[in-house]
Amino acid sequence: MQFRDLDLAEDAFSAACEAALREKAPIRDPAAWAFVAARRRALDALRKAAREARALSTQPEADGMGDVIAFPEPIPDDRLRLLFTCCHPALAAEARIALALRVICGVSVARIARAFLATEPAMYQRITRAKAKIRAARIPFETPPPGEWGVRVCAVLETLETALGIAYRNAAGEGETEGLAPEVERLAALLAELMPDEAEAHGLLSLVLLVRSREGARVDGKDTMVPLSQLDVTLWNARRIEAGRAALDRATALRQPGALQTLATIHLAHAMRWRRGRTDWTAVLRLYDMLLAMRPTPVVAINRAVALSRAHSPEDGLAVLDELEAARLADFLPFHAARADLLVLAGRREEARAAYEAALALAPEAAEARFLAAQLAALPD
Amino acid sequence: MQYMLLIHEDESAYAGENGGAVMEATLAGHMKLMEELGAAGVAFSGERLREAHTATTIRYENGGEGTLHDGPFAETHEELGGFYLIEAKDHDEAVRWARLIPIPGKGAVEVRPVWQD
Repeated sequence: MQFRDLDLAEDAFSAACEAALREKAPIRDPAAWAFVAARRRALDALRKAAREARALSTQPEADGMGDVIAFPEPIPDDRLRLLFTCCHPALAAEARIALALRVICGVSVARIARAFLATEPAMYQRITRAKAKIRAARIPFETPPPGEWGVRVCAVLETLETALGIAYRNAAGEGETEGLAPEVERLAALLAELMPDEAEAHGLLSLVLLVRSREGARVDGKDTMVPLSQLDVTLWNARRIEAGRAALDRATALRQPGALQTLATIHLAHAMRWRRGRTDWTAVLRLYDMLLAMRPTPVVAINRAVALSRAHSPEDGLAVLDELEAARLADFLPFHAARADLLVLAGRREEARAAYEAALALAPEAAEARFLAAQLAALPD
Repeated sequence: MQYMLLIHEDESAYAGENGGAVMEATLAGHMKLMEELGAAGVAFSGERLREAHTATTIRYENGGEGTLHDGPFAETHEELGGFYLIEAKDHDEAVRWARLIPIPGKGAVEVRPVWQD
C-alpha cells in the first residue's frame, strides 16, 4: 500500500521553509507563509495519494454524502441568518449552541439540558433569556456586514466546535449527549453549504465527519474508553472518512489556512491508520506544531507533547509537559492523563501511578475513569 | 430604536502627570464621535458626568424611604463617567457606535436598549 500521504506534511513543511529562504521579496509573516506553502504541498500530495489509493483500493467508492446530510428546508439564507443570530457574540456563550440546537435543529429543551448537564428549567430559562435579549435589544436577523464577517464567522465556528466537544464529553457520545453529534454534523454541513467560500467552515465539517467516523470504536464492550492510538480501525466508518477528506479538499482549495483545517488534517492522519495500519506520528507532530502556532492553548500543547513522545521519545514529551505551567494545569485532567501515559512509556512507574491518581481525583466521566483505573491497575508493582 | 451607551471609565486615568493629556485626547475622541453621529444623521444626546465622588446614592433595603449614601451605587474601579442616548436601527449598529467611544486605559461601555412600546 503506497499510502504515505501525511508523511509528506513534514517534507512539505521543510521544503516550504527552504523556499522561503530563496524568496526574493521579504516575507512579512514567515511562519504563516511557510504554513500556507506547506499545506499546499502536503494537501496536493494528499489529494494525489488519495486518487491513487482509490484507484487501487478494493473498497467501494464513497457514494457521496447524500444520505449522511439531507436538508428538507427550502430557504438556505434564512437558516444562515438564523445561525448568525443564534451565535451572536452579544449572547452568552453557553446560550448560543443551545439556542441553535433548539431553533434550527428543533432539539427538545429536555435533551439540550441533558447534554449540557443542566436542569430542564435552567436550560429553558437560558434559551428564553437569549431569545428575549434578541428581541428586546433588537439583535439583527441578518448576515453580518463585511467589516464584521470574520469575527462573526469565528463565533459560529467556535459555537459548533464547542458543541462537538460536548457531544463527545463522554467517550461513547451516548447517554446525556446521545444524538447531539448528528445535530452538530447537520449544522456544520449547513454552514459549509451556505458559506462555500469559507475554508474553515469546510474544515469544521471535515473535523466533525472524521471525529464521527470513529463513533463505534470509542469505547470497548465494557464501556471503557479506548484511546485514539488503540482504537479498532475495522470499526471506523469508511464513508465518513472519505466524506471528511472530501470536505478538507474543498477547504484547502480555498487557500485560507486555519486551525480547524489543521485539526481536521490531524484527525485525517489518525484516520489513515485505517488503510495503513500505523499512525504517522512524525506527520501528526508537524501538524500539532502548526496548530500550536495558531492556537497556543494548553490542550494543543498537551496533545503535541503526546505526539512528540510517539514521534521521538517519551522523555522528550515529558520534558515539554514539564515546561508547561504545571501549577496552572493542576486541575486539568488531560494534563495528568497525558503525563501518566508518557510516564508509563518512559518506565517511570511510581510517578505514573501518582499521575493516574491525580487524573482520577478530577472526576473524569465514567468511560474515561474506567480506562484510567484499568491503566493504573495494570501498572506492575 | 433608542440605545443608551453607558460609559464606565477609570477616573484615575485623568489624574496624575499625564492626566491633562489623556483628558484632551479623550475629549477629542468624543468630539470626533459627535461629529460622525451628526454627519450620519443619527439623533443623539449625551452628557459628561462629574466625578463619582460627587455622587449621592439613595439605597433601598426593603422599599421604604431609602437612605442616602455618599458615593456611587457600586464601588468599582470603573465609574460611570457619562452617557450617550442614540437612535440606531438595531443592536449591531448601536454597538458599532459604542465602539467609537474613547476609553482611556481600562473601562467598559454598556449598550442598553431603551424600553419602547
